[in-house]
Amino acid sequence: MKTKTDSQQLICVDIGSTYTKGALFALKDGKLELLDRQLSPTTVEHLPDGFYSVAKKLVPSQDWKRPDYDHDELPVFFSSSAKGGLKMAVVGLVPDMSLHIGRLAAFSAGAKVYFSYPYKLARKHIREIESADLDILLLCGGTDGGNEFYVQANAEKLAASSFSGTIIYAGNSTVDEEIEEILEDKKLVITENVMPEFGELNIEPVRTAIREIFLEQIVAGRGLKELVNKFDSRPLPTPLAVYNLAKAIGENVPGWDSFGMLDIGGATTDFYSFCESFDPDSSDSMLKGVAEPKLKRTVEGDLGMRVTAVSSFEIGREELVNSETLSEDEALAMHEYTEKVAADTSYLPDLPEEKAFDFHLGGICARHAVTRHAGTMKQAYTANGRVWVQTGKDLRKINKIIGTGGYLASLGRENKALAVPQYEDKSDAISLVPTDYLYYADTQYILPLVGNLAEKYPKQSAKLAIELLNQIKIKD
Amino acid sequence: MSKPMTVVLGVIGSDCHSVGNTILNVFFTEQGFKVVNLGVMVSQEEYIAAAIETGAEAILVSSLYGHGEIDCAGLREKCIEQGLDDIILYVGGNLVVGKTDYSLVEEKFKKMGYNRVFSPEFPLEDMAELLRQDIRKRRQERENKD
Ligand code: B12
Repeated sequence: MKTKTDSQQLICVDIGSTYTKGALFALKDGKLELLDRQLSPTTVEHLPDGFYSVAKKLVPSQDWKRPDYDHDELPVFFSSSAKGGLKMAVVGLVPDMSLHIGRLAAFSAGAKVYFSYPYKLARKHIREIESADLDILLLCGGTDGGNEFYVQANAEKLAASSFSGTIIYAGNSTVDEEIEEILEDKKLVITENVMPEFGELNIEPVRTAIREIFLEQIVAGRGLKELVNKFDSRPLPTPLAVYNLAKAIGENVPGWDSFGMLDIGGATTDFYSFCESFDPDSSDSMLKGVAEPKLKRTVEGDLGMRVTAVSSFEIGREELVNSETLSEDEALAMHEYTEKVAADTSYLPDLPEEKAFDFHLGGICARHAVTRHAGTMKQAYTANGRVWVQTGKDLRKINKIIGTGGYLASLGRENKALAVPQYEDKSDAISLVPTDYLYYADTQYILPLVGNLAEKYPKQSAKLAIELLNQIKIKD
Repeated sequence: MSKPMTVVLGVIGSDCHSVGNTILNVFFTEQGFKVVNLGVMVSQEEYIAAAIETGAEAILVSSLYGHGEIDCAGLREKCIEQGLDDIILYVGGNLVVGKTDYSLVEEKFKKMGYNRVFSPEFPLEDMAELLRQDIRKRRQERENKD
């Protein structure tokens, strides 16, 4: 079944932290098709070994070790999140302004943000940065021609530190030269300001810079250079492959112009939204602060199913008990369960009670990742009636949510959906989360692999991705 | 060429009188200022965030709807908290409720930490000139400090 001579075959491989997964696709008459998928354990000491093991399973007839590989005959695309993925810190100025935009830029390049610091870096922050083994630090703050004090002060602190990763400067461009001089002994990339004018978002240049640094420096450090040269293929950070796919879906598939994607992992929870962030024609609402991008990704470092199970439970415990979803006794048992799975992160539950705990844990991750991602709206009374003041992104137009990642894939295989839990909210601000949507599970956990093709084949990969999803009815 | 004078402009609180704000935005821009206009219904935090990021030298607060006294209180303290100790604060609009003597109003707002207080009739050209002088003076004082 694997050899169809009249069609082009393509291979995608995603090198994850525990498994290296691969898929063989066929491109025929402008349509993509999934032919096979395989996996092997990731070989942390030498990542290419796991890669070849998967490749061989997919196409045994190919001589994978031959030095003059013909990449036109069988093109290879690959992504990696091995060895902690793309690790970043963001240093900005005002939390809701330049720091917020800097974080959005990092997330949308596929990074995980370990630290975010506003205003002036303190000594303890420098210590955290030094000891974290980060790949990239993004330094921003100030509009063009605006504040120049903080970025320079922070650059001085970084210059005196032992931080050895790459620094991207994307703050007030007036002091580009000063920054260059202060950080002359560091690996430094200077790019356009993330917020050239107050409230204006400019994240593409930083995304491009991160992409290039990933290729030129980080890939080599992860032992992937060999694959780059051999297959003449530029790897992506895994979340960027997923991000590109989300963009391709939103721009190309009818009926998918407003959707969300939830990826609950062992350590983190990612949420992607593709929709207009604010309705500019609305006569009774106004937007304050940053106008957020149509495609937005956020990553929550304290929400996850295993590594961060304990912190996730702490975040959601009260809601579960107050809503009588859990009794006090059950909450105690769930607390013990989260401690157990945090210590044994590959644990898979088999008792119904444990499965229920995982389901609640997933609910907490979903609810808080989505709520933090979403904006809020407050009412103000004026003579010409009520006015809604919105900050952040309005997700209420989202009418479809995709569940992906290991947990939601396996839940999907049991034909179960995970709706984002809603609880009564007493605050005066309305959270702009999606409330009415269809649920689709990535039961084969194939999206990162399809995502590898999204830049080159946006229409075809988007269409295939949707075909591979399973719609599951949400039970009330 | 000297550095442009950046000012943050907005109507404070739940006030949505937008006509004066639009006029002031156009006027100050024509006068050569770099205006960061936050529009209507601006919170104290928004003025401050904008002033920090843009390195503004003055914040121009409008209040038209009669609640100015409540909305404007505490802005100076918040500025100091955020390191904007010497930023110039102007306030204008309908600050008088009823027939209160204007000098009393002025005194009240000056006590709150506003450098200058304007009635709606105050000529805008004169006000722009005062603003330029105040900004130059502030720059001078900052230089002397270094
Ligand atoms: C139009 C209007 C409205 C419209 C506003 C539409 C809009 N999108 O702007 C509507 C109908 C919505 C409205 C509503 C209300 N209004 Co009204 N409104 C007016 C009116 C008639 C004109 C305002 C105007 O546009 N003026 C023209 C502009 C160019 O002038 P300006 O706003 O004063 O601004 C100039 C100066 O003040 C100065 N300036 C302003 N800010 C600053 C700042 C600095 C630093 C400086 C130097 C100068 C400066 O420069 C500006 C440009 O020249 C005035 C009465 C009047 N004639 O002023 C009442 C008036 C302002 N409204 C008033 C009131 C009470 C209200 C309401 C509370 C009514 C109610 N009971 O519900 C609501 C409040 C709504 C809200 N949340 O803000 C009162 C305020 C009373 C007070 N302050 O003591 C006024 C004065 C009417 C009155 N005499 O009672 N209003």
